[in-house]
Amino acid sequence: MKSTNNNPTFKSYNRDPQLYDEIFDENDNVRETYETLFELYSEHSAKDFGRLNNKAKASFFNQGITFQVYGDHEIKEKIFPFDLFPRIIDAEEWKHIEKGVLQRSKALNAFLRDVYHGKKIIKEGIVPLDLISSSENYLDQMNGFDPPGGIYNHISGTDLIKHSDGKYYVLEDNIRCPSGVSYVICNRTALKRALFGVFNHYQAYSVTNYAENLLEILETVKPKGVDVANCVVITPGIYNSAYYEHSYLAKAMGVELVEGQDLFVENDFVYMKTINGPEKVDVIYRRIDDQFLDPLEFKPDSTLGVPGLMAAYKKGNVCLVNAPGTGVADDKAVYTYMPEIIKYYLNEEPILNNVPTYHCSRPDELKYVLDNIQNLVIKPVDEAGGYGISIGNRLTEEEIEKVRQTVKASPRKYIAQPIMSLSVHPTYIEDSKCFEPRHVDLRTFTLLGADKNFVLKGGLTRVALKKGNLIVNSSQGGGSKDTWVLKNNH
Amino acid sequence: MNLDYKIRYTAKNTYENKTHGALWQFLIIPENSESQQLIFEDFSNSLNIPVENSINGYDFRTYRIRPRQSIEEIVFTADFQVIKKVENIFERVSHEFSESEYSDLKSLQFRAKNDMFLRFTDLTTLHQKVDFEFHESISLFENLQNLNSWIKNEFTFKTNVTDIDTDLNHILEIKQGVCQDFTHLFIAIAKQFGIPSRYVSGYLHQGNGYFGDSQMHAWVECSIPGSGWIGFDPTNNLIAAENHIKVAHGKDYSDCPPLKGVVYSSGKNETEYSVQVSAQQQQQQ
Repeated sequence: MKSTNNNPTFKSYNRDPQLYDEIFDENDNVRETYETLFELYSEHSAKDFGRLNNKAKASFFNQGITFQVYGDHEIKEKIFPFDLFPRIIDAEEWKHIEKGVLQRSKALNAFLRDVYHGKKIIKEGIVPLDLISSSENYLDQMNGFDPPGGIYNHISGTDLIKHSDGKYYVLEDNIRCPSGVSYVICNRTALKRALFGVFNHYQAYSVTNYAENLLEILETVKPKGVDVANCVVITPGIYNSAYYEHSYLAKAMGVELVEGQDLFVENDFVYMKTINGPEKVDVIYRRIDDQFLDPLEFKPDSTLGVPGLMAAYKKGNVCLVNAPGTGVADDKAVYTYMPEIIKYYLNEEPILNNVPTYHCSRPDELKYVLDNIQNLVIKPVDEAGGYGISIGNRLTEEEIEKVRQTVKASPRKYIAQPIMSLSVHPTYIEDSKCFEPRHVDLRTFTLLGADKNFVLKGGLTRVALKKGNLIVNSSQGGGSKDTWVLKNNH
Repeated sequence: MNLDYKIRYTAKNTYENKTHGALWQFLIIPENSESQQLIFEDFSNSLNIPVENSINGYDFRTYRIRPRQSIEEIVFTADFQVIKKVENIFERVSHEFSESEYSDLKSLQFRAKNDMFLRFTDLTTLHQKVDFEFHESISLFENLQNLNSWIKNEFTFKTNVTDIDTDLNHILEIKQGVCQDFTHLFIAIAKQFGIPSRYVSGYLHQGNGYFGDSQMHAWVECSIPGSGWIGFDPTNNLIAAENHIKVAHGKDYSDCPPLKGVVYSSGKNETEYSVQVSAQQQQQQ
């Protein structure tokens, strides 16, 4: 079917032949998966979309689904912009992604067990010792400890992109406290509300089963001797940018949402203060960072955590999800060794591609990076949320020189990658009242439990709303799309 | 021959304004090991608050007190009895020069195994060159003994000129400090040479005129390939042996302070503590 001419809301859609377009092929034809959707959307006028767009926005605002952006001067409360044009992933493509992200999560879990036990992968020279000895996220307290069920990264968020070659690449693994899953579910609700007549033309998997699967995973890692596990979600509190998600997940799982002050430790068991007296807690889905978990063991002035929690954990009386110290493995320097890590522990070839990476810690690669900054993305090794990233071809001569000096001063802190061209997806732009191509990525959510795992069939498609912008993080002005995983190839 | 130690540790915490919620953790219990045996322990407090037994992040035993009432003053008293084996450390350690000691030290296997005690921490980082050198023509043990006596000769034991946050560069400047400072300095220099080194917290035999004996003491343990962990006490230029009763170890002081507390209170607070150690010789049966 021919594309843009018969659809008024696509009149200013300019396909860039340099980029992979998720819905139009190289001849400007609509890809098969999107045909039905495109046809249905043709029935709506630009005015309709404007109206629907406002409706969707209001639905988020009314539900209080907001987040905060940490800026240079102030903190702002924002709605996460939702886009009306859903991302569709067909059954075949999804199978590949699902296998790939599960493989990565399992390999990372094995890597964590190893770096906190015999460190075989280091002793055999597969990855450098420096990877853990210079990591601020390596927790000595975890050395030699076996977490319940042998699981470290119960919850992994894997960020993928589709490059101009039409292949998926993993950009990073998030295995500390990956967030975003509540948006996946809210996006589905919002889309169904706005455009149910469209949704029911496709056979897409439900995403609302995430919470029940998470609860099941939490129960598989309950401490020994516990019959029915009492699980809670611990949050830093209402000022955290992901507080909505914490409260959503607790509610959807039917467990208590607590703050540090609601819990206490006695004789190495954790209790929750309730109006009926103390209630023992067995599994804690924690959304506070390692350094704030326990003032007796980490930051002594932290009031977010629970004094004595680490000892209770190490005695095997409570399970923390994810395990403390997982941050050592989602470091961007570890990322670059993922192909080796997967082969080493699983004896398998990596299913998903890694973006080729230059380590500034290696002298010859540093030289290449310093000479080619304009063609590279420079990333700090240990910053999350898109902070501190420099995209070479967007910089002025002066800025390039500045980056060069920064990298030169502390090479271990930086890696560089070729500028990947994220695929584009039609996105409703309020200013032009039309769909325009915008860059997207995909965050998937993988759960690992003792003898059970689960990959959410769906994910968070994040979209960079600014034209040409490659950074899709919500904190950098990104929006998101509902993501449909089809049960059968459409 | 064995030594029979009796140890009393007391601490008094006072608060200008009453606490409303507190948790104290004491890392003061002598460990059980090949060379020392804890045969008696008792821990009490002036308010008769129940004592919990727990562990710190590195699995060393601790006492915990979590009062339910508000507190202005509380006194803690611990009594221990420890049997310490008197051993000749020179039988255990290789003090003859061998090249393999140095190649083992540099091997990836050894470095990976001891990574935790090779990493520099804030308290064990030197920003300037020191006037001490290792020589690869003598054994590691001899080098470390030289380091031990170098610190003893160059620095003067003096209390109240440093505190727990004093950095090493300041110590190098004033050439004074207490056992913690000398221990951190020893660790920093040994680690620079690639010798895994850890901070040890414990008690020192009193009455021999050693420095640092009215409080808890600190010394160093170094891992020497083939010999294992050997204790060095740079404050007294001693090999840590039957005079040293170990409680715990860590990367530096911040991993093993004797008392940690999470206290909700405004105003000033103060901790006074004292340690008494007495020893009797005990004939082996």
